[in-house]
Amino acid sequence: MIDRANIGTTYREALKRYRPRDERPLPEPGIDDEKLLNKFHPDHIAESLTTLKVGINRGDPCHRQLADLLQSDSRINEADLAGAATVETDVLVIGGGGAGCTAALIAQQQGARVILATKLRLGDSNTVMAEGGIQASINKDDSPQFHYNDTIKAGHHQSVPDLVSQLVLDGPDVIRWLIQQGMQFDLDEFGDLLTRRAGGTSADRICFYRDYTGLEMMRVLREAVHNSNIDVWDYCPTVELLGDDLGGCSGAVISSLKNRKYIQVNAKAVIIATGGIGRMHLNGFPTSNHFGATGDGLILAYRMGAALRDLDSFQYHPTGLAHPFHLAGSLITEGVRSCGTYLLNSKGERFVDELSARDIVAASVIRECREGRGIVTDDNNCGVWLDIPGLELRQPGILQQRFPKLMRLGEKAEIDLTKKPLLIYPTLHYQNGGVVINENCETSIPGLFCTGEVTGGIHGRNRIMGNALLEIISFGRKAGMAAAQRRKKKRSSQLSIEHLNQLRRELTNMGLSMETEGPLLFPEYAKFDLDSDYAGLRRNRGSTS
Amino acid sequence: MSDSKKEVQVTINGKQICVPSTLSVIQALWHAGYPRVQGVGCLEGVCGSCRVLVRRSDTQEVSMEMGCQTLVEEGMEVMFLVFPSPSQHTYTLEQIPNSWEVQTEFHKIFPEAQQCRNCHGCSVACPKGISVEKGVELAVKGRFKEAGDLFVECIMCDLCMTGCPEQIAPNRVGLFSRRVTAYFHARPSNLINRLEKIRTGELQIIKE
Repeated sequence: MIDRANIGTTYREALKRYRPRDERPLPEPGIDDEKLLNKFHPDHIAESLTTLKVGINRGDPCHRQLADLLQSDSRINEADLAGAATVETDVLVIGGGGAGCTAALIAQQQGARVILATKLRLGDSNTVMAEGGIQASINKDDSPQFHYNDTIKAGHHQSVPDLVSQLVLDGPDVIRWLIQQGMQFDLDEFGDLLTRRAGGTSADRICFYRDYTGLEMMRVLREAVHNSNIDVWDYCPTVELLGDDLGGCSGAVISSLKNRKYIQVNAKAVIIATGGIGRMHLNGFPTSNHFGATGDGLILAYRMGAALRDLDSFQYHPTGLAHPFHLAGSLITEGVRSCGTYLLNSKGERFVDELSARDIVAASVIRECREGRGIVTDDNNCGVWLDIPGLELRQPGILQQRFPKLMRLGEKAEIDLTKKPLLIYPTLHYQNGGVVINENCETSIPGLFCTGEVTGGIHGRNRIMGNALLEIISFGRKAGMAAAQRRKKKRSSQLSIEHLNQLRRELTNMGLSMETEGPLLFPEYAKFDLDSDYAGLRRNRGSTS
Repeated sequence: MSDSKKEVQVTINGKQICVPSTLSVIQALWHAGYPRVQGVGCLEGVCGSCRVLVRRSDTQEVSMEMGCQTLVEEGMEVMFLVFPSPSQHTYTLEQIPNSWEVQTEFHKIFPEAQQCRNCHGCSVACPKGISVEKGVELAVKGRFKEAGDLFVECIMCDLCMTGCPEQIAPNRVGLFSRRVTAYFHARPSNLINRLEKIRTGELQIIKE
């Protein structure tokens, strides 16, 4: 569970004491950043860490919950393949979010036959939920170099320089490509792109559409995919990759939830774009992530032998909603802070520069709560104030104009945002690490490409706002382009799931339990398994309630 | 503040279940042991997947809502809706030769749009309260910017499509209006300037 020491002022009492004020001074920082992170950031909870025992990353530190799945048994064996129908394609894209759609669109444009298999519906993804915006250095007083420096610094100098360099130089062209797909951005009176500043950055560089940037992006990409020749398979999670006799990846095994049958897809290239791990609820944290964010791609790639990195580094977004209970975990965009909203503890004092990097702000919120300066609800949730009324006081009208989604959230929570602050606490938001890739999204396995949140190396150990939306388009395009190049190659005719035998041998040798099956596919509380009825019309066996 | 101990009786997809009142419709199904994943998406009300028909105990009226955003209430009846087959309208932005031709192309792509009989079915069905019918009317007149602006909060749940007897696919009309506006009219000079500087190699990266 979350290590919240639930001491502090009660919600009712704190709300009574709260007064909107336009100016509040920022106190001197009492502790240096490294110490703060070590003491309060959830990545540093010692009991949550373990060392991987099997696979190419053997010996590397890894979050315990993720390690359990990386070292789990497969859901299938040879017998399952015997009865499976076989389908041929050039490029198989796994995942239907922003990265998957972009990769599929580009691969198809290049002349490849493309199948896009997604666990839920096309566009059901974290992309659609992204609010803040997308980074691209376009202002006069900004440059790709500043963007590069900010990304490297926020990532604690653990990013891969070549990947970051490619990302920042591609930023403006990504915006152009999105406009060409029909995506709107907020513009000024002269038609120029408006920008705002992300936490931990040196210039106004976030391009945005209200607080619906991801929604606007996703509906445009989904429409483009629907109007293409891409073959979209919904409710089709991938349960395993197919290996070949040359040590490469040549397809995947897909489970169709509609008829509970396996399908073998033979492909010349496979692109994994499955996103992150929020719905693993690491350390018991709530999450801002989509229902399907269960880290499937990491498990599939690792079994195939692809190297991973930074498996102990995750982003907890500082401002997840902590009250009311049924909306807990919902994200409040960093855009609100970039416009100048303060964070206040129960005494009404600021305690951190609200535009510091996300890990710093999140750790500071946890510190306030743990040291008794938090605000505690009846449900025993602790948090601090996000002082939205103060923002409205300084910039009247800004809420209506810039943050319609936030206003909706206020309505649902029955909180008048012009008068009352919101209670917030960090929420599990992003997987910083992932599959190791090069500039063309190639992994260490021939024929296997990865793009989007499932990859590691771009954000180092902490991501800045707006770099995720940039990454999925920029690297999605690269993945689609590179994978399509393989369409002219001859595919190996010897496909198998032989790599699972090695996995099982290693698991047995290390004395690891084979009880858990991966990938997870759905969060535990959905109580879903592959033999369940996906429309939920039939109760699980043994269910009593 | 909600009392988490309180239980309510609801009927979901014809199954009678008894669940805590703090749960959403989707959470309630899971809680009762029905492992539904069809139509479950972002759980934040923006992906448009979990479409439900809802009737509350005190009324005969049926409303269309998002299952993840709807709290269970005593006596509530809920029915999950499956997605309709995708609309038959297909187009690419590239097929429109230039911005003078948008209106002509629009009527070729969405021939039913001008047959709108003002039945309000689409606007009533919209869980986001968008003036859908007005948007279709504006698009038919070629006022695409105005039409598109009405669809800012559209989550493409297709409920307006379900509610339209003429099969207009009003949300696709809205999205078309938005897309042509960006495609033909967004030409930000600050972006174009920067693209030029990158193209000429004036801006480069010194890696650390």
